[in-house]
Amino acid sequence: MLFNNLKIAWRTLVKNKFFSVLNILGLAIGMACFLLIALYVTDELSYDRFHKKADRIYRINSDILFGGNSMSLAVTSDMMGSTIKKDYPEVEEFTRVYNSNGSRLVKKGNDFLQELGVAYADSTFFDIFSYEPVAGDLHTALNEPNTVVISESAAMKYFSSLDVVGKNLETDDNNGTIYKVTAVIRDMPKRSHFRFDFIFSMDNLNYGFGDFLSHNFATFLLLKPGSSAASLEKKFPEYVNRYIFPMLQQTMQVKTIADLEKSGSKLEYSLMPLTDIHLHSARVAELGINSDIRYVYIFLAVAVFILLIACINFMNLSTARSANRAREVGIRKVLGTTYHTLIRQFLTESTLISFLSLLIAIVIAALVLPLFNDIAGKEISLANFFQPLFLVSMLALPFVIGLLAGTYPAFFLSSFKPITVLKGKLSGGAKKSNLRSTLVVLQFSMAIILIVGTIVVYRQLAYIQQKKLGFSKEQVMVINNTQVMGDGTRAFKNELLRLPGVKAVSSGGYLPVAGSSRNDNTFSKEAVMDMKNGFNMQVWGVDENYIPLLGMEIKQGRNFSKEFVSDSMAIIINETTADMLGYDDPVGKKIYKSQSNSQAEMLAYTIIGVVKNFHFESLKQKIGPLCMRLRNADWSIAVKMDATNVQNLVKQVEQKYAAHAAGFPFGYSFLDASFNNMYKAESKAGKLAFSFAVLAILIACLGLFGLAAYMAEQRNKEIGVRKVLGASVNQIMVLLSMDFLKLVAISACLAFPLSWIVMNKWLEDFAFRINIGWWVFLVAGLLAALIALVTVGFQALKAALNNPVKSIRTE
Amino acid sequence: MIKISNLEKIYRTEDVETVALNKLSFEVKDGEFVAVMGPSGCGKSTLLNILGLLDDPDSGSFLFNGIEVAGFNERKRADLRKRNIGFVFQSFNLIDELTVFENVELPLIYTGVKAAERKKIVEDVLDKMVIMHRRNHYPQQLSGGQQQRVAVARAVVNNPKLILADEPTGNLDSSNGNEVMQLLTDLNEQGTTIVMVTHSEHDARYSHRIIRMLDGQTVMQDLMV
Repeated sequence: MLFNNLKIAWRTLVKNKFFSVLNILGLAIGMACFLLIALYVTDELSYDRFHKKADRIYRINSDILFGGNSMSLAVTSDMMGSTIKKDYPEVEEFTRVYNSNGSRLVKKGNDFLQELGVAYADSTFFDIFSYEPVAGDLHTALNEPNTVVISESAAMKYFSSLDVVGKNLETDDNNGTIYKVTAVIRDMPKRSHFRFDFIFSMDNLNYGFGDFLSHNFATFLLLKPGSSAASLEKKFPEYVNRYIFPMLQQTMQVKTIADLEKSGSKLEYSLMPLTDIHLHSARVAELGINSDIRYVYIFLAVAVFILLIACINFMNLSTARSANRAREVGIRKVLGTTYHTLIRQFLTESTLISFLSLLIAIVIAALVLPLFNDIAGKEISLANFFQPLFLVSMLALPFVIGLLAGTYPAFFLSSFKPITVLKGKLSGGAKKSNLRSTLVVLQFSMAIILIVGTIVVYRQLAYIQQKKLGFSKEQVMVINNTQVMGDGTRAFKNELLRLPGVKAVSSGGYLPVAGSSRNDNTFSKEAVMDMKNGFNMQVWGVDENYIPLLGMEIKQGRNFSKEFVSDSMAIIINETTADMLGYDDPVGKKIYKSQSNSQAEMLAYTIIGVVKNFHFESLKQKIGPLCMRLRNADWSIAVKMDATNVQNLVKQVEQKYAAHAAGFPFGYSFLDASFNNMYKAESKAGKLAFSFAVLAILIACLGLFGLAAYMAEQRNKEIGVRKVLGASVNQIMVLLSMDFLKLVAISACLAFPLSWIVMNKWLEDFAFRINIGWWVFLVAGLLAALIALVTVGFQALKAALNNPVKSIRTE
Repeated sequence: MIKISNLEKIYRTEDVETVALNKLSFEVKDGEFVAVMGPSGCGKSTLLNILGLLDDPDSGSFLFNGIEVAGFNERKRADLRKRNIGFVFQSFNLIDELTVFENVELPLIYTGVKAAERKKIVEDVLDKMVIMHRRNHYPQQLSGGQQQRVAVARAVVNNPKLILADEPTGNLDSSNGNEVMQLLTDLNEQGTTIVMVTHSEHDARYSHRIIRMLDGQTVMQDLMV
């Protein structure tokens, strides 16, 4: 029976080549999208799960609200891990990781190379996290100071060998430190929220340990089996009372906890499961760039959308063509087939089609995988197709799709009454069907939502590009690692200025792009620091060339100047700070900062100017309080260029660098590129949304094309009659296209409000965002209509140009 | 009204050449009622298609109202057709999705008559064809005779000078058939020229003249009295 079913199914496929190709192609493209997105999603969901104890590992998050500034940190104080372990028995072990945007210069031969994947960790690091050792004993590897564990790649890079335990590596910290390699591990898996090539002993970190208030360490806890993170979390306020509050009493004139809370300040700690970090954490001081669970949801929805659109094609084409199958159904029934057997037959057919589609889908997916990886920023390999779980799900797909797409047509076709169809009275499939129209509406709604989504994402990205940022990011080159020149930086800067094409040079330690240094400090409006007067703001060290070089504007007062000796205690604030202070004219007023942790010695700074607000973080964030002081920040140097031959100028700068910093790597970036990097996730999402919108529309059009072809065929005679009666080609085309255009119009009505809600939700993420104008919908609607028209129009034209003599033949 | 001379139409497939009309010539005067008879395959339908300006001859001349129309393009033919010619088919060729009223109205829409005027004209014609009471029904709800009456109504609604009928009674029983023939005769008496293709000697007797065809040529013309 199954064989007979398959045989019939195959012959039907071959007989109706046009519709079979449409069906299989549509389903194949849909399935290919689905496979790719499924790979992407499984990849995203698998982060950090390779650690054997992953389900017991948690990171401590800190939420601090102080002086009107709120901060969500992925780090906590150096003391918290050990204190929590000492006080609470449910903690089995803790480890701290310090990376502080770290990069280190590591010596190879006579040259230093810049390494980005570096961190300091406690010796317990390898007891909590599971890494595969290549050499050495991980358990004891970091027990001593001056020890380092390196990755396989690092070992090959520096020693061209894996057998390197006991060998030495020199780095630039503390003016040169020698570390002994105690173990080599396999490279950290890509699906990990942090990846390091060098893990140095925590003992070598130059840090004021023992400070409960400074938050600089990612702290991971390993809980004992069976203990609850939620109940441990409830005990954190105890920790705040016992250890942190006494410190605040000393420095901030706070008497009771109630006082602290009344002033609107807050200090809260929480636990985040290790496996949640990659998709759910976007805090300050993350150990790497995390992803976002919302994109996972969006892509899942898109995958389901596309697959549904493809299934709908199948349903529509099958039921539309039912008239052609009616005779077959009638004869089979007369010969004694039951309803159920017929349904099984039609389901076999749809499953066969999905199976063929899957084969093609796998080929398509394999072919576009490199492109997909490029857009999605992933490194998914073909091998991922053959993971057992994925393989099983993939093979189950045709059955699910066959059932999903085939059930309705199967019931529809099997329910024909034999006598009616054999007398040839049936043309029901060709008649307008409400269900079929509904399905087309569904397809086009989804396509329009994707179009609107794509337009909005692109417009927001364009807006970010064009927004007046308060500074100019064009033609600014940033040279890194200039601290190694020591006093030579001054000479280096002067030499740069003499190069043709260089317009200005300034310090570039603090720049208004992500990844540059930040420095947050507590200030007071009055000479006495208390909860009312205290506030936090960024303090950036700059030189007198910084503001003009970046094209920032002084709103009141003046820029720093070499001519005023007193400028060492001068300060320039931004508009946000000026508003916060509330002075009519802030220039000349003083603000205060405690010199150390004791409030006895307050330093007074004189405000000499107000700089217009500029965006120093991503446009997702509001512009916070910031001030600038005349201080050395020459670990990076900014160069404003006016050059047509940028490459040539970079080469010249490199030569100058080499002269002052022999043996050190020349690293540079361009400010506009760093700026664009901040919106990588969004531009990635934009590209993906665009690709999938195009595909969704393509698949929907395939279906529409088939449907229109069939409709035209069914209405052949009607068209002939109309032509005999004098209808023009135009009139016939309008007649045929109108039916479909109406459906697109209904789809638009459904899709507009939905896409409006969804896209506004997405935009909420940005503090500075576009309004979705009505024209976006107009464009999306017209685009959908135009595409539908072109698709249908081709068939309509073909039908309209047919010679009516042929279609009205009666014999 | 119609004057054709040396009309030729040849259908070619890959290896077969079929001569449908072989240097056919005849004339139909204004107000005449002509029946065309002949066995299957003698070229009747081809002739009707050419007379109806649905198809173009390969060679020869076709004067319609004194105008040479052989070689007219599709658009010119359609324009001439919708103003001057009405069709009645054996299988009625009504549009299933449209009501009786809408079917009859269609030619008026294509000639650009205004809506109000259309309503009046269609109602007049339906009245004349005694089918007014069925105006809002769909074709499938009517008997064969009623469907053909609607088809005739549609053919005459534009007041054409020429009606081409292709076996108008072929799908009808004799009483319905006679009814339709009577309708055509009445129209003829009011001045409409009619060319009818038929297999039925009985129907042919309603006409003034019978043109008998064989293998794409006229073989005999009987004058009826």
